[in-house]
Amino acid sequence: MDAVVKRIVREVKRGNQEAFAELVELYKDKVYHIAYRMLGNAHEAQDVSQEAFLRAYTNIHSYDENRKFSTWIFRIATNLAIDRLRKKKPDFHLEDKVGGTENLDYYSQFASEEALPEEQVVKLEMQEWIQQEIMQLPPKYRSAVILKYLEDLSLKEISEILNLPVPTVKTRIHRGREALRKKLGDV
Amino acid sequence: MACSHEYYKLMHEYLDENMPLTEAKKFEAHMQECPACEQHLKELKKTVAIVQSASHFEAPEGLTREVMNQLPKQNQSQKWQNWLRRHPFLVTAAAFFLVFLLSLSAGFDGEEEIMVKGDGHFIVDESRKVVIIPEDSTIQGDLLIRNGNVEVNGEIEGDITVIHGEHLQASTARIAGDIEEVNNTMEWIWYEIKEFSREVLPFSSNGEEE
Ligand SMILES: [Zn+2]
Repeated sequence: MDAVVKRIVREVKRGNQEAFAELVELYKDKVYHIAYRMLGNAHEAQDVSQEAFLRAYTNIHSYDENRKFSTWIFRIATNLAIDRLRKKKPDFHLEDKVGGTENLDYYSQFASEEALPEEQVVKLEMQEWIQQEIMQLPPKYRSAVILKYLEDLSLKEISEILNLPVPTVKTRIHRGREALRKKLGDV
Repeated sequence: MACSHEYYKLMHEYLDENMPLTEAKKFEAHMQECPACEQHLKELKKTVAIVQSASHFEAPEGLTREVMNQLPKQNQSQKWQNWLRRHPFLVTAAAFFLVFLLSLSAGFDGEEEIMVKGDGHFIVDESRKVVIIPEDSTIQGDLLIRNGNVEVNGEIEGDITVIHGEHLQASTARIAGDIEEVNNTMEWIWYEIKEFSREVLPFSSNGEEE
């Protein structure tokens, strides 16, 4: 995998634009997923994912081949998502934005069969609830929790993506899951 | 019935499993006597499990195409350069000719398909897996055949490369360049290294390379 990625990156660096499509294919799902979990909105997640790849392309020469490409692209995507959250109302995540359109948006993530069986509905509601609670976290805890528990990355990788020392990442994960526990833990 | 802040901090270390064994044992001993901590840990574990159960989303369809459409446009000379880099040994002839790519399924029992790359008139006999260059035909530039034999009766202005196949030439054949047959794995790998990118790549991009 790494060798393949390396080869593609070299091609892109040489100016083979078409080869970049292969990189997008390899990482688009993960990048989109991180963006979606950070932003809680499909449209914005798509925007941020595209922007992340465009930036990766224009800055490909600054990518250090000795590091994992995933770390690099996740870092670009996470930064863009955090920027976007900053530009919104600062108290966005504490507000009433949850519900309404966000719900619809969440449902639209799934292939919409006409009538969902009861079991599916419960599952969807559960999923929606998880996302709502993630969205309640302050962005700095949110990013750490997403990378740790949804992307299953190591503390070292997360520290590289977020450009933070490992102990800081740990603290953020601890605080994030403590905050989530208050909502999710006593069901 | 909350416990002390210190213990809650320790609990996260315990949950991360990066606590020295003796400390972990001490903490476990504490939990035996402290329902608050026991409960707290249970809730944390449950929280983690719930978060981990969140489903993964796939990127919306067309995202790759969207990104590719938005990339800065390369000018013709950049494209040309890329093409040269990828095909150093094809440089002389091919760029000025239209190149056709013909890919036919051999049709039987999942055998690999015959692939022909060349500019000119040729016939593909699928049942015999032979590409025939008729006597009155001229292939301008190089000819590449993959997974089949070639029978040359006409004229080839460039080289012939046959991968996983053989070539036959009639007395009427005129071949200007070299003939190369690539039939064992080492030769094939070497050929691939020389060619580097997949053989169809530059020709499949909507004729932009013309
Ligand atoms: Zn206690």
